[in-house]
Amino acid sequence: MHIKYESFVREPLVDGDKDYHQVSEDIISPIERKPGRMWYVGFIFSLLLLGYGIFSVTWAVYWGLGTWGVNRTVGWGWDITNFVWWIGIGHAGTLISAILLLFRQGWRTGVNRAAEAMTIFAVMCAGQFPIFHMGRVWDGFWVLPLPNTRGTLWPNFDSPLLWDVFAISTYFTVSLLFWYSGLVPDFALIRDRAKTKFRKMAYGIASFGWTGTAKNWQRAEALWLVLAGLSTPLVLSVHTIVSFDFATSVIPGWHTTIFPPYFVAGAVFSGFAMVNTLLVLTRKILHLEEYITIGHLEAMNKIILLTGSIVGVAYLTELFISWYSQSWGEMAAFQWRIMGPYWWSYWAMMSCNVVSPQLFWVKKFRRNVPFTFVMSIVVNIGMWFERFVIIVTSTYRDWVPGSWSYYSPTWPEVGFYLGTFGLFFTCYFLFAKYFPVVAVHEIKFILKTSGDNYKRGMEKIDNQSTEDFIHIATTHHDEEHLLEAPHH
Amino acid sequence: MSQKQYWSGPEELNNINANLEVAGDEFKEELPFDLSDSMFGATTPRRDFLKFLGFSTLAATLVASCEMPVRKAIPYAIKPEDIVPGVPNYYASTFVDGGDYCPIVIKTRDGRPIKVEGNDMSSITHGGTSARVQASVLNLYDKARIRHPHADGAEATFDAIDRMVKEGIGGKPGYLVTASILSPTTKEIITQFLAKFPNIKHIVYDAYSYSGMLLANEVCYGKRTLPSYHFDKANTIVSIGADFLGTWIAPIEYAKAYSKGRKISARNIKLSKHYQVEALQTITGGAADERATCKPSEMGAVAVALYNAIANGAQPSLSSPKLNSLVTKAAADLKKGNGLVVGSSNDVNIQTVINAINDSIGANGVTVNWVTTSNYKQGIDKDMADMIAAMEAGTVGSVFMHGVNPVYDYFDNKKFTAALAKVPVTVSFADRMDETAQKCKFVIPDHNYLESWGDAEPKPNYFSLMQPGIAPLFKTRAIQDTLLTWAGATTTYADFWKDYWMKKLGSQEAFDKALQDGIVEPAGEMPNGGVKFAGNVGDAVGKIQAKKGGGAIELVVYQKIAIGHGGAWSNNPWLLEMPDPITRTVWDNYLCVSPKRAKELDAELNGFSEVDTKKRVVTIKGADGYTVNMPVIAVPGMHNDVVAIAVGYGRDAKVGRAAASDATKGGKNAYPFMSFNGLTMEHHSVVTVAKTEDKYEVAVIQTHNSYEARPVVHEYTLEEFKKDPNVLLKERGKEIAEFTHDPWIEEGKEAKEPIIDSNSEEGYREHGTMYPNYPYEGVKWGMSIDLNTCIGCGACVVGCQAENNISVVGKDHALKAHEMHWIRIDRYFSGMPNDPDTIQTVFQPMLCQHCDNAPCENVCPVSATNHSSEGLNQMAYNRCIGTKYCANNCPYKVRHFNWMDWNGADCFADNIYEDGRRDDMNDDLTRMVLNPDVTVRSRGVMEKCTFCVQRLQEAKLAAKKENHPMKDGAAKTACQQACPTDAIMFGNVKDKESNIFKLRKQEQMERTFYVLEHIHTLPNINYLAKIRNTEEIDALDENKNEFLKYHI
Repeated sequence: MHIKYESFVREPLVDGDKDYHQVSEDIISPIERKPGRMWYVGFIFSLLLLGYGIFSVTWAVYWGLGTWGVNRTVGWGWDITNFVWWIGIGHAGTLISAILLLFRQGWRTGVNRAAEAMTIFAVMCAGQFPIFHMGRVWDGFWVLPLPNTRGTLWPNFDSPLLWDVFAISTYFTVSLLFWYSGLVPDFALIRDRAKTKFRKMAYGIASFGWTGTAKNWQRAEALWLVLAGLSTPLVLSVHTIVSFDFATSVIPGWHTTIFPPYFVAGAVFSGFAMVNTLLVLTRKILHLEEYITIGHLEAMNKIILLTGSIVGVAYLTELFISWYSQSWGEMAAFQWRIMGPYWWSYWAMMSCNVVSPQLFWVKKFRRNVPFTFVMSIVVNIGMWFERFVIIVTSTYRDWVPGSWSYYSPTWPEVGFYLGTFGLFFTCYFLFAKYFPVVAVHEIKFILKTSGDNYKRGMEKIDNQSTEDFIHIATTHHDEEHLLEAPHH
Repeated sequence: MSQKQYWSGPEELNNINANLEVAGDEFKEELPFDLSDSMFGATTPRRDFLKFLGFSTLAATLVASCEMPVRKAIPYAIKPEDIVPGVPNYYASTFVDGGDYCPIVIKTRDGRPIKVEGNDMSSITHGGTSARVQASVLNLYDKARIRHPHADGAEATFDAIDRMVKEGIGGKPGYLVTASILSPTTKEIITQFLAKFPNIKHIVYDAYSYSGMLLANEVCYGKRTLPSYHFDKANTIVSIGADFLGTWIAPIEYAKAYSKGRKISARNIKLSKHYQVEALQTITGGAADERATCKPSEMGAVAVALYNAIANGAQPSLSSPKLNSLVTKAAADLKKGNGLVVGSSNDVNIQTVINAINDSIGANGVTVNWVTTSNYKQGIDKDMADMIAAMEAGTVGSVFMHGVNPVYDYFDNKKFTAALAKVPVTVSFADRMDETAQKCKFVIPDHNYLESWGDAEPKPNYFSLMQPGIAPLFKTRAIQDTLLTWAGATTTYADFWKDYWMKKLGSQEAFDKALQDGIVEPAGEMPNGGVKFAGNVGDAVGKIQAKKGGGAIELVVYQKIAIGHGGAWSNNPWLLEMPDPITRTVWDNYLCVSPKRAKELDAELNGFSEVDTKKRVVTIKGADGYTVNMPVIAVPGMHNDVVAIAVGYGRDAKVGRAAASDATKGGKNAYPFMSFNGLTMEHHSVVTVAKTEDKYEVAVIQTHNSYEARPVVHEYTLEEFKKDPNVLLKERGKEIAEFTHDPWIEEGKEAKEPIIDSNSEEGYREHGTMYPNYPYEGVKWGMSIDLNTCIGCGACVVGCQAENNISVVGKDHALKAHEMHWIRIDRYFSGMPNDPDTIQTVFQPMLCQHCDNAPCENVCPVSATNHSSEGLNQMAYNRCIGTKYCANNCPYKVRHFNWMDWNGADCFADNIYEDGRRDDMNDDLTRMVLNPDVTVRSRGVMEKCTFCVQRLQEAKLAAKKENHPMKDGAAKTACQQACPTDAIMFGNVKDKESNIFKLRKQEQMERTFYVLEHIHTLPNINYLAKIRNTEEIDALDENKNEFLKYHI
């Protein structure tokens, strides 16, 4: 059981006067209504983007990767940049659901559902890039350790790219299970409220016959805990392994032992920014300001500030180490990064990722919704540039100067990237329409401790002297009575 | 090519319809399905449904499995004698293009020539080749070749044309215009032809002529010929403008000889000294020890100053201090004996002075051979001018042109074209509808040289024979046959030729041997000797000094190594895509200017602009008003007041798809910038250059000029190397000595300057990693590349392309750095960009290093690239899924991805890459050049140098069949074989008797290094450090090397 008393110092996690029914009403009713005009506009726009992306990818698969700008020297460009970027974004969801669950952070309840959905969609987007960056995508299944008729022909288990395959597919699977198992009680709620036959059937199937018995809850809680335990190392491992793609190489600027923690911090950084982007929009559009509160946003911004600072320290450490190593390859790599023809990408990264999040030291900014929104975009631009800087500005001027070249993307590469936005938002719009975007059962779980109206009921306890409080807490067992919501 | 229908037997031929029915009916027997309506009135019962399901699933699987389509394969019904499918035949022959000469061996597979190698038995070229020789096999299969004779633009028979020509020759004066002819039999046939038609005169026209030398030699030595130069015997070489390693007279011969004086080892520290004065940057200037630049108009003054410095010790007073000091030093060195001075000027007076210098330093008979002279170039410019004057006057009745294309390459081509129109009978023997052939009444295409019988006499008494590697592909006729027919002879040229050689050689055995060897040469050393100099130096000096100075900006019309004078080379995609050794640019010509001049034209060369493919376009206006717009390429080492344009571009569409030019592609014609001084052509002229606001994309393969003082290249002065031959081994020690033993072992730590030796190399291999070492047993391949003798000529690049079926990607993809060459030649500059006299150049062939600890191998997720037990880094193309991770992780960036469907080898229909210029590479005709031993790679897979593994396997199998261990030198890579300077050595490093073992461990230990050795890739290619016979190496000094300082 969770602690029933919460200090006034903590602000409420659910604003307004809510009871259990109102919570269900607020969160589920958008699913039962016809979507608004904005939803249609957004959804169709996303579909168009997705279509353009499919066209761009088809073009590249049919004609060849020569339609892209990657070349002899810069073998990976926007493709892998976008891959790492999306994977990074895909970190926030699991971090919020798993790690914050284990740390018993109550405030995660308002944001975890959307964050997890975002994780899954982001990983789906990310996965497209390593698949379609292959020259012979139709033979791509060779990376899987499948029994085959080619003798004892296995993939190369030494290759970090293969580790990626395992890491990402595992992460995706666990995240999906975690997300879905959390959705089951809420689907049951929709089923129970459903007035149309089809909805009843669809959500009935989706809710796996959830009846809300104590046994149901007990098993669900146990499952969530296990999945949280499983996901926690995954949050760290996925981006660690992605960073191995670079860290195990011999290219200066890639060959760096700092990459695993640096990548994970960067991933959380960008993931939280993306969650913020989506939450600010979702709470506005679906009128969920009382569930996704300013306090939630502030908590997110604090983590952005922390991880942004970690990332900044990592950047500076890289610079220091390249100088400290006195290794000509390292020093030159960073010199070309900062002052070469790609200088603008480095400085875009630095200003977006290191300088701008420092503004979150100011409380006013942390709690300012438009500012949070702008900052979340800035951070993600910065994090995109970080990946671009690492991938492109390391290879374009590497060991042998005679091979140096330059890289600019072509339309199918840009189209591919836009297409993944299409995929992401298509999924997100469907999610926002058909799935409860805030975890109803989790909100109800904390409602009576952290709901605004319930917290107000604490006033009289708070005003008591410490001795009296101890007395009540140790002798008075009628907790329900104590915490009963005041009636207006 | 045509879609021929082949029939499998008379049944099919005679009863084609019945056969079609049979062929169309896939299931000849009744299918075991009940398709009747009887059962439940339905079509298919359940069991058959399952069968259908199984069949269709299987069919869908088969159709969907995306593999290469099976192409036509035609077996020999009756095996031709001498041809074993899969076994190559070799025929000794001779490459001739005008006066360009190279004895060769043609490799034919299944009856078609697929590769050309140098003939090792020649005492002139010693097996050397050039890029053009290597690429010449592609000209055979050029789709633009004309396939039958033409009269008035329409197909005609030889008989009809013969009749018309014979009637048309008449009594009016006529001209037979040819390029320089090396063939003694052809010369004899021409003599017969001229005897039959005394009104016809034979003149020789070389587009890029050496008239000035020929005329000067005639006056000085009484011989209108070129001497032979013995660069190998020269201790001091002074070149006044002559690019003798690249394009001047006979570069293969000279490069071979020159390289002998450039080989140096710690055991034999001796190096020739090479001074170069030039106007633009050439590869010869790149190889030089001391280099200074001047305007082309000052070349005469340089020659005079050198003459005076030698004759009377006069202090030179030339336009720059560097020129003065170079001339002074060169004069002092030349006086020591074994000197050689060559000059490129086409001015008779300058060549007279150069002759005088060679005479005064005693070069005649030592390095300049007047007994065994050279026949390479015979063209006299004045003859051409006189002929045009006669044509203009309307007195000429006929003109026959072979191997020449004056409508394109004569400087005043408008005048020539107008004059040609006044001649009633005009005949071209061109192999394509080139600019001149289009203006001729008759076109009688000559065979390609690979289809021809023939011979060549490059030097008196030194012969080589030419035999066909394939029957003529088209309705063409040898010019010799044509002339014989017209002269009324009944014999064919083949018989004439055989009779000639039988008579000369005396017996059938001697003839057979000559044909097999390909060369007929006197035994022993080449006879050498001088002739008394009878030139009037005083007069020549006076005329040089009297000649008016040049202009503010002088333009040099130069030949590119790849494209040469133009001709068929302009349409050779291999050559068009061969990066120019100096500018590293493909598919275009452009205006070369110095970096300083480029800045003035708003085309500054800096670390940022170097990656911009869009280059500033400028307008170049010649003295006579000829104007072109061209992009600017900044070339360090160009004199600041000199600009240069290569010839061979700006061709007509009918020359071929690759050559065709218009405003957007194909470059511009530079020949009209030449001028005629009344006696000889001048290859330079005064121009004005004005910038425009336009930009034009130029594909520059290498963007960065400096090697950034990295241990990628090592170079030392001769002095440094002499003083401490271990200088390189110490430098390597600094990088790796720490890792040659376990860290806890103190041994070696006390040495301040550890020297790398064989033991520490082994120690590094073992202790530089935490993984176990693979014990190589048996053969282990290794290569050594000598940076001292590599001249950057590009023969290896094209040789590799021909051997390994390397795709041509075209300009658009070259712009994106998608080129496929397995071997590239990195060119690095050092010095001060604004001072061309300080520029030093290094060429470094870069190819897969076959690392024993290869970074590419462990990152491939499907093990498509892996290591062989012989030390080869190999690619399993079929396994590759194209992640490009290996290319990213390759420190040398030598792996090349098949970005597009370059050659139709992938499984998608109709997605072959086409850009309009390179497309002929995929024509059925052109594809005959492909080497059947090497897979044509499909789109989406990685590829790279294999060390010509097909050749290695062949050599091993041959040794196995003969039951002896493989001999050193039995396996040669294509690049090694193509190299005219023997800069590349290859062999089994485990064989202690092999040259490569001896070179690495004994002879050249002190010069041996591995590129990026410190990252422990353990390459199987080593390089030999460059040793310059000069005072300073600027590459590592920021104060003396602005390329390094400003990172450009």
